[in-house]
Amino acid sequence: MSKAAPLSDRSRRALLLAPALIFLAVFFVMPLLDNSARSFLTEEGGLTFARYTAFLTDRFYLGVIAETVILSAAVTVISVLIAYPVAYVLVRKAGRLSGLIIFLLIAPLLTSIIMRTFGWQVLFARRGLVNQWLVTDLGLLDAPLRLLNTPGLAIAALVHVLVPFAVLSIASVLQGIDRRLEEGALMLGASRFRTFWEVTLPLTMDGIGTGAILVFMIANGSFVTLVLLGGGFQTLPLLIYQQFNTTRDFALASTMSTILLVIALACLWLQLRLVRRQGV
Amino acid sequence: MTDTPSALSLTAIRKTFAGLTAVDDLYLAVEPGALVSLLGPSGCGKTTTLRMVAGFERPDSGSIWIGGEDVTRQAPNNRGLGMVFQSYSLFPHRTVAENVAFGLRMGGASRQAQAEGVARMLDMVHLRGREDMYPAQLSGGQQQRVALARALVVNPRVLLLDEPLGALDKGLRESMQFEIREMQQRLEITTLLVTHDQEEAMSMSDQIAVMQGGRILQLGAPNDIYDRPKSAFVATFLGTSNLFTGTVAPDGQHLDSPAGRLPLPESLPAGRRATLSVRPERIVLGGAAAGLPQQLTGRITASSFRGSHAAYRVVLDASGADLTVYRQADAGLGQVGLALGDPLSLGWRIEDSVIVTAPEGEE
Repeated sequence: MSKAAPLSDRSRRALLLAPALIFLAVFFVMPLLDNSARSFLTEEGGLTFARYTAFLTDRFYLGVIAETVILSAAVTVISVLIAYPVAYVLVRKAGRLSGLIIFLLIAPLLTSIIMRTFGWQVLFARRGLVNQWLVTDLGLLDAPLRLLNTPGLAIAALVHVLVPFAVLSIASVLQGIDRRLEEGALMLGASRFRTFWEVTLPLTMDGIGTGAILVFMIANGSFVTLVLLGGGFQTLPLLIYQQFNTTRDFALASTMSTILLVIALACLWLQLRLVRRQGV
Repeated sequence: MTDTPSALSLTAIRKTFAGLTAVDDLYLAVEPGALVSLLGPSGCGKTTTLRMVAGFERPDSGSIWIGGEDVTRQAPNNRGLGMVFQSYSLFPHRTVAENVAFGLRMGGASRQAQAEGVARMLDMVHLRGREDMYPAQLSGGQQQRVALARALVVNPRVLLLDEPLGALDKGLRESMQFEIREMQQRLEITTLLVTHDQEEAMSMSDQIAVMQGGRILQLGAPNDIYDRPKSAFVATFLGTSNLFTGTVAPDGQHLDSPAGRLPLPESLPAGRRATLSVRPERIVLGGAAAGLPQQLTGRITASSFRGSHAAYRVVLDASGADLTVYRQADAGLGQVGLALGDPLSLGWRIEDSVIVTAPEGEE
């Protein structure tokens, strides 16, 4: 038996990557392409941009895009504001407790988002736990509060889901900051707050940027939370769902999906730029 | 600078970390305008001491005084100190000029005063024209100069140097030693230097404090510590030393050691254990040793040429102990009696030997 000729490094690498690439091509890239293609084709199979022109000149649809982006931006800002102190404590103050904090951050990510959102429903329903405390147990209120289907609760639930992503992004950058830099600023007469403002915060901007883009991207595509907790938001994913399931206008749904995809790709491009700058 | 330099003093400083004593009842006084080195192996407490002076650590007990003011409980940003770190710690997101101006800006100086300060300091460290560069664009030596300029621009009461040259290569380190020392003397700035490099300590300091186990073992001028070490630890940590341990002979004038009966530079009570330290460059080899009192014999087992001098390893016939001997290069390896393996006599002048406390575990 003759021995097979040794593979070159290059072909070996290609062989190792092949299964994953084939899987992604068949189950991820092709459906996406098919979906996008549908939005550019007329009934007869000709090329058309009419749906995009129609969609992007319609006040209602533009409003939906704006609402999607504004909701995601609000969720992003709140998430980063909450995440920064958590990341700071995690990296700087927690010591031996940091393992526990990381577990508490990651554990929710391991449970299904549907389960977590149902949890919110149980808590905040008209006869849910929170209202029961407020009305029956503590007697603070005469009538139960309407909490479900309010914008605030929907935003809170999204923040709750997305904060861990922001915390982990910020913490990893914060961890890499040489403490001597802060000590150097202190030695030069900067107060602790000035030191944070002048040194720590600017040096963690990359982590904030990465975390913010991640949160924004996920919030942009979030669907389950808004379906289950409502809040009166009319976002792109909800509209796409309606078009596919209720109106059955697949072509319009594909158009909207493609627009959502473009927004996501733009975010991804921004993130890559950030990371590359960091790597210099 | 117009201000008179400040004195720095540490009294009865003690610091423990999780039950481990890092600094143990340490006293140190630094004269105004002097440069004192804390020298010792890692873990000797020198860095902890420096960090307590800086204010990053608070001593468990004792007090720290700068210029007649008790700063023990002051925050680091109120102490009026300058510090240079081994890693330079320049702000990577700020230019050279912004780095140097940082302390002035924190002190509320006007833009004009900041610009003047930056220009003056960059002149002094020969970095004019690099104002707008970022630290990552500079070499290690240049970064170190910027760090020095940044620390000195605020006219600090005391300058703290934490292994400032540790990250530089040897040639640059030597020229920076001269440069920093020259600048420190010109500005008359009271300076505390932490280093584990004995050459650095010797070439830069007015006084060296050799530390071990959280205590200062010996404090003195570099040549004083080198020539008259009080303990075997100091003798071997600062330079190289040949140690002879034995019992003081009945006459009180000699040491009975495995190597033979060696004359002592001063008399000691008979019967006591004692250790004699002799520097490698003080040992005389071959014919020149004939008139010396030790009358030791041995053989050269190894030699190495080191440019300015040559180092020999000599095994003593009597004890089998290894000695290290240095000879100036002009004495020549080819000199009669210095061939490898040949028996030769050796010795030293009595005043070139020093009685030191015994090495640990041999008392």
